[in-house]
Amino acid sequence: MNRYPTAKIAALVMGILPMVPGTAQDIFTTEDFRADREHWADPAYYRNNTVFEIRDMDRDSDFGEEGTGRVGAADLASPYPYTSAWEHYQAWLAEANGGTRHTRESIPDWSGRYGGGWDRLDGGPNPASSVVPMLKPRYQEAFVQDMVALGTGRTWGANAFCFPGGFATAIRDAEEFIVLPHRVWILSAGNNRNYIRWIYTDGSGHTQEDFQYPKWHGESIGFWDGDTLVVHTNQVRGWKGALTEFSDALETVERYRRVGDTIEGEITLYDPEVLVRPAFSRLAYELDTDTRPELRPLYNSCTDSNGPAPKIHMDERGILNERLQGDPLYWDATDPRPWATWLNESDERYRRYREGLDTSDNESPAN
Amino acid sequence: MNKQYCIHLLAAIAAYGFCGPVLSHHSHSMFDHSRAVEITGTVTEFLFRNPHVYLYLDMEKEGGEVVNYWVEMSNIPNMIRRGIGLRTFQPGDVVTVHVYPLKDGRPGGNYAWVVAADGTTYD
Repeated sequence: MNRYPTAKIAALVMGILPMVPGTAQDIFTTEDFRADREHWADPAYYRNNTVFEIRDMDRDSDFGEEGTGRVGAADLASPYPYTSAWEHYQAWLAEANGGTRHTRESIPDWSGRYGGGWDRLDGGPNPASSVVPMLKPRYQEAFVQDMVALGTGRTWGANAFCFPGGFATAIRDAEEFIVLPHRVWILSAGNNRNYIRWIYTDGSGHTQEDFQYPKWHGESIGFWDGDTLVVHTNQVRGWKGALTEFSDALETVERYRRVGDTIEGEITLYDPEVLVRPAFSRLAYELDTDTRPELRPLYNSCTDSNGPAPKIHMDERGILNERLQGDPLYWDATDPRPWATWLNESDERYRRYREGLDTSDNESPAN
Repeated sequence: MNKQYCIHLLAAIAAYGFCGPVLSHHSHSMFDHSRAVEITGTVTEFLFRNPHVYLYLDMEKEGGEVVNYWVEMSNIPNMIRRGIGLRTFQPGDVVTVHVYPLKDGRPGGNYAWVVAADGTTYD
């Protein structure tokens, strides 16, 4: 069954969608983006900015500047004929004649720390408008809402609220590929991120369906096709990321191979809840030659908001802001013993609570 | 717009247009990145910790009022890459910091570059 019944129609629409002639409204000026639906797929509605450029505007305070997006610079759609990730994975497994059985001696050497990511999972060098035809209507609206917010300086980021980055970010930020014959681990660690993925290449397959549930990084199995690793992932917890966001229905097929000092790869995303057709991106991670000990990966908890009050917060104007020392509800994000700070504050509050009870009706806190 | 697509890339990867991690811990939308402000003052505290390194300065305003200025830096690995370590700034040091100030006018900002007491510039 075709899980993407509108795929061909969407592809046609992408190809023939007329450019909406100069509109006065765009994401920087609109008062009701929902009323602008006819313009959502028009590059001018985003002043030709890429998603990355819009996302980066709050860094440089250059809201509303003209962007560098190039229509058709990268095809966001999968080049493959498959309609599900499992079909895709099984086809590649068959092409590999069931996969290569590696030993410790024959397994490829992928040691080292890498940096890189994807080339188009955030829309790439295309104008932001190119993302819209990839999405189902509900997610088109979510995407444009996000762009309007970003374009007016209202940024939500998982990091700022100490949420995990989710599956897409774990793909983008991969740093280390620990390769053994029966398993591969993909790691990333640093400030605000601690990612680990387990990829079972021992032929054990996925967890049986009764025990499957969404996980931050899903569940991954894989096989080797010579020196190429092929991965199937399901059971991903829906989150923000990739073209806009993804659902629990997301399944992916990845492919990785070391070429010189680069791990080259690709990912195909199958998410029939969000996408009108599968999405695709190339991946590349370049070996980091700076091996100074002080730059080793580090485990780091995201403590910026997990204190008694959110340090990063939405202020009364609806804009992201930060509390400073002396502000009400300020919390020290660098506190090395936050539990002690919390307990000290708790003790003080409890003391005042009890004193208040003593001077009023002597009510017990247990009542 | 002068920005390049994917400014956070390793140079070799940038040639292919691949997008690497955005290393910022959170959005910088609270800072005014359209202008850098020069702050000269005396270091009162330097916190070399994650998720952010912080530098506090006593700065004398016009009229003689002393204000403690808050400077948010990047995370420790990013600071190390710039050559800033645990002992780079000591209380009592007179330093000059260029910051992108908080938009709401409070005495704080996101650092752009720093001139330490010994004259070394860290950017």
